[in-house]
Amino acid sequence: MGKTFLEITNVSKTFPGVKALDQVRFDIMPGEVHALVGENGAGKSTLIKILSGFQQPDPGAKIMIEGKETKLNGVMDAIKQGISVIYQDFSLFANLTVAENIGINEIIEKNKPVLNWKEINAKAEKALAFLGAEKEIHPRDLVENLSVAKQQLVAIASAVAQDARMIIMDEPTSALSKNEVEHLYEIIENLKSRNIAIMFVSHKMDELFHVADRFTVFRDGQYVKTVNKNDVDENTLVSLMVGRKVEIKNYADLSEKGPVALKVEHLSKRGNFKDISLEVHKGEVVGITGLVGAGRSEVAQAIFGINHPDSGKVYIEGKEVHIKSPSEALENGVAYIPESRQTQGLVLPKTIESNITLPVLKKYKNKLGIIDRKRQRASVDKWVDMLDVRPNDPDMLAMQLSGGNQQKVVLAKWISTEAKILIIDEPTNGVDIGAKAEIHQIIRKLASEGTAVIVISSELPEILSVSDRVLVMRKGRIAGEFMNDDLTQEMIMSKAVV
Amino acid sequence: MKERIRNFTKRKEFGIILIILVLSIGLTFMSNAFLTIDNILDFLRSNSVIGIMALGMLPVLISGGIDLSVSSTIALSAVVIGNFMLKFPGSNPVLVILVAMLSGAVVGLLNGLIITKFKIPPIVATLGTMTIILGAVLLYTGGMWISGLPAWWSSFGNFRLGSFATAAGGTTGVSTQVILFVIGCVITSFILKYSLVGRGIYAVGGSESSAIRVGYNVNRITVFIYVFCGMMTGLAAAAHISIVGQVDPNTYTGYELDVISTVVLGGASTMGGVGTVFGTVLGVVLMAILKNGLILAKVPTYWQKVVMGLVILFAVSIDVINRKREQAKLVRVDVEE
Amino acid sequence: MNFIKEMKSKHSSEFTLLLIFIGVFIVMGILSPDKFLTSNNIKTMAFQMPEFGLMSLAMMIAVLTGGINLSITTGAALSSIVAAFILSSEFGKSSPGLSVVVALAACMLVSVLTGVVNGTVIAYVGVAPMLVTLGTKTLFEGLGLNFTKGGSISGFPEVYSEIGNGTFLGIPIPLLLYVAVVIVSYFLFERSAWGTEVYMVGCNETATKFSGINTKKTLMLVYIYSGIMAGLASVLISSRYNSAKTDYGSSYMMQAVSAVVLGGTSIAGGHGTVAGTVIAVAIIQVISTGLNIWGVNRYIINIITGGILIAVLALRYITKVMEDRKKIKMRSAQSAAK
Repeated sequence: MGKTFLEITNVSKTFPGVKALDQVRFDIMPGEVHALVGENGAGKSTLIKILSGFQQPDPGAKIMIEGKETKLNGVMDAIKQGISVIYQDFSLFANLTVAENIGINEIIEKNKPVLNWKEINAKAEKALAFLGAEKEIHPRDLVENLSVAKQQLVAIASAVAQDARMIIMDEPTSALSKNEVEHLYEIIENLKSRNIAIMFVSHKMDELFHVADRFTVFRDGQYVKTVNKNDVDENTLVSLMVGRKVEIKNYADLSEKGPVALKVEHLSKRGNFKDISLEVHKGEVVGITGLVGAGRSEVAQAIFGINHPDSGKVYIEGKEVHIKSPSEALENGVAYIPESRQTQGLVLPKTIESNITLPVLKKYKNKLGIIDRKRQRASVDKWVDMLDVRPNDPDMLAMQLSGGNQQKVVLAKWISTEAKILIIDEPTNGVDIGAKAEIHQIIRKLASEGTAVIVISSELPEILSVSDRVLVMRKGRIAGEFMNDDLTQEMIMSKAVV
Repeated sequence: MKERIRNFTKRKEFGIILIILVLSIGLTFMSNAFLTIDNILDFLRSNSVIGIMALGMLPVLISGGIDLSVSSTIALSAVVIGNFMLKFPGSNPVLVILVAMLSGAVVGLLNGLIITKFKIPPIVATLGTMTIILGAVLLYTGGMWISGLPAWWSSFGNFRLGSFATAAGGTTGVSTQVILFVIGCVITSFILKYSLVGRGIYAVGGSESSAIRVGYNVNRITVFIYVFCGMMTGLAAAAHISIVGQVDPNTYTGYELDVISTVVLGGASTMGGVGTVFGTVLGVVLMAILKNGLILAKVPTYWQKVVMGLVILFAVSIDVINRKREQAKLVRVDVEE
Repeated sequence: MNFIKEMKSKHSSEFTLLLIFIGVFIVMGILSPDKFLTSNNIKTMAFQMPEFGLMSLAMMIAVLTGGINLSITTGAALSSIVAAFILSSEFGKSSPGLSVVVALAACMLVSVLTGVVNGTVIAYVGVAPMLVTLGTKTLFEGLGLNFTKGGSISGFPEVYSEIGNGTFLGIPIPLLLYVAVVIVSYFLFERSAWGTEVYMVGCNETATKFSGINTKKTLMLVYIYSGIMAGLASVLISSRYNSAKTDYGSSYMMQAVSAVVLGGTSIAGGHGTVAGTVIAVAIIQVISTGLNIWGVNRYIINIITGGILIAVLALRYITKVMEDRKKIKMRSAQSAAK
């Protein structure tokens, strides 16, 4: 293994609103896979930004590369030191060719004003061949025409092409299918054998234990511990991450439910999902799970009127509906809480009050069409209290809230519309453990009051906790259906994965 | 080879060529003056000014920006070289062109610095400089024309390369302005295709955050883009003055619209990241044919503005509709059939 | 007292603007007391400011959604030209009273239509507002030219000129109209459901749409409102000039952007107040009138308007950067102390 490639100590990073990193440390050997783990907000992405030279740490930080102290003052510095990053969204240029995307760092590093396209294409071909992808990907393809898995290969090829000695992989498997993940493992083995250090950032336990040699845990911007894989098990690692014991409660209620609230028949949309039929009863919580990219959100968005299905029928309380936009969904009593809270769920720069009352503004109009602020405030106070949003100040901006409280605001927004059907996409994504349990309770409470709820989640423990019934999707189809009765993660996975 | 042809038919440029062909055939039937060598060379000459400006605007649009100040910049450059020639009647066309490009570059530098240093959106920044510069130009000239330019300048402007027989019995050739446009095309397309900064422009237009992540100096690229646009606009000023032979600082209002619509017609996406010199040349030709056609078809002058307005609305709408359709067709899930 | 304090803290930027206005007013008064501080000059400003203010409101609503409307002045000109066409016709001479009513109705109809054209392409096709309005700017100008043939249309019934030149109880009619519109606009922007939607769309269109708001309709109404404001301004302009022409009021486009930005409306959309815009309009009006009286060339006034736009945005950016730095320093100090 040889000596340490990178060692950082005393790294802090302060932003105007928050201290994202507080004197953390991390080190990595050549040929080692060292996983950085932690919950959302632990400071993982900030450390990535610092190691990639994109942001500078607060003064006092010490960064040693191969025993020499260095500063990473810019992206080029990091690349010259042999550190390259594969971002979760790959950071590729969809409008450019594969070859240019692969060679781009070298193009910039060499800083030659005139480019040699032959050389760039040849190098790209070599890098693709190294990954065994030269047959499926052509250097002159436009990246926007590639599938997600191929795009990731391009991103890896790019890191390989710049002779990286350390590759940071940020949630690399979030968009990959099982087979593609296996392929990624092979590539990682290959990179290890070439003495390349890999910093693997993820929160999926099975993957972490599969690829990593060591783990470093961050919590709330602080360093917690570094452990060898053999010295730790999943439960200990999780409790290191969250800082306390986690108890998952099973809410499943298998009793007879009310009448059918939502019925979907043979819903299909090319390239999205196929032949989806499902029913949700009043008072029932149906969990939909499966791998990312199985088409779960696409189905939800079709019901909510964001996507338009090619064929199939949707019934609400027995009546056929043709919902073509979210505003029509609202009229029909369908609510959808999107996965991306920050960009789709909330208007971050506005107050809790404006966010909660946005869909129901018309309710507060007086005769002149002017909003009755007192009445509006009274009902916002009610929702804030009921869901225990903290701080409970309706004038607080949504962006100032924690993830869990933001999610409560989104929930309040839709509860206030008295929706009959509530679809929640990844309800606790980026939410800390405490708020997670509260959100699960809110979901169950809504169901007990007669709302038909669909919960979409990749987290199987969550699905097993809140659902009465579970649908498993695979490759755009419903691959299995279970009552949540002695259901296990293994049973679900057997349907989700071929 | 077959695949290449098929790929070409899928490109935006192919559609533009088809439109140009259809319009040309129509116009040839409508007027026998259209498809004559002197008409073609003539309309290329008069449209080379917008063409050269379009070459400057192209990188701006590829990067996802916009430059409204070009109409003021061309006025400024025109006034600068007008006065330069009056002061130095013994200088030469090359020097005049360099002065014109330099004056345009200064404006571009100003735009680039305002946009990068203060993070002001290009539309607002260039709207501001457009007003300021035009104000300064009119203040300096009092709105007066500059005429009495040296004789060597008009012979430079009227120079023709080669000689082709015209239907009327005379001869004509490729004009200075068309030559300038062609040189501009070669330089621009070299920069966009083979230079580091050129690729950076596409990268910024594709995704600015990714461009920063891979190590492009986005601020420097942005400044380059606006300086280049200013330089080309300066060159266009020289081309224009060499055609009309005098400087009228008031004549350029509205040029920014013509230029932007030309580039958009030529297939550059208004959302950034996409655009080629070849497409822009086609855009110039299409625009020229439209204008020429409107005149040949004896459409009253006032309607021409209406048509131009409709053309840009049409061009930008098609661009967005196409992109939406492509996005809708995108396969998000590998559905098991 | 408490009320004033609360107003000060809640509306600090409007308060600063008000101070600037007073300052500018005093400076202009001191510089040319014999000309600026005359009742005649104040009256002139009271007649001029309303059309500028209406144009600024037309611009503001578009900027609030993160867009821009470059077509306000040519759209306005087109509306007034259509009105002028009716006013100067035989009909206008035979029954002046009725023709004014018909002309005003036609003017409003055209201004609504200009908004519908912009709104359709922006909201329903989804094209960037700056490109759409750049196109419609030419389109409206071309249509106007077809009526005027490049010249101007004049010869209106006398009643019509009362709108822009008359007074009611000694107060200029344009000013009365302006005050009424400002009050209505305040309630529309800041107190109505639609107004709230406008601000939300300006901050995050997707999230607003995903909250069940018909954002296309919201945007459509934004550009219709913008058209109507510009149309009202065009009535005042054509009435004051007693004629209509495509380039009347064309300098207001730039001035309106400057006023909106100076008034504190965020150029990215989502933030801004009617009061801020109204005070900024007054400031710019005082500056340009003051300079005008002083005999300063009108081109310099244009340069200053453009300069204000860039200077305000640059200043705002610099203050934000400095504030952020201060916050980071404070935080570092805090955690170091720990």
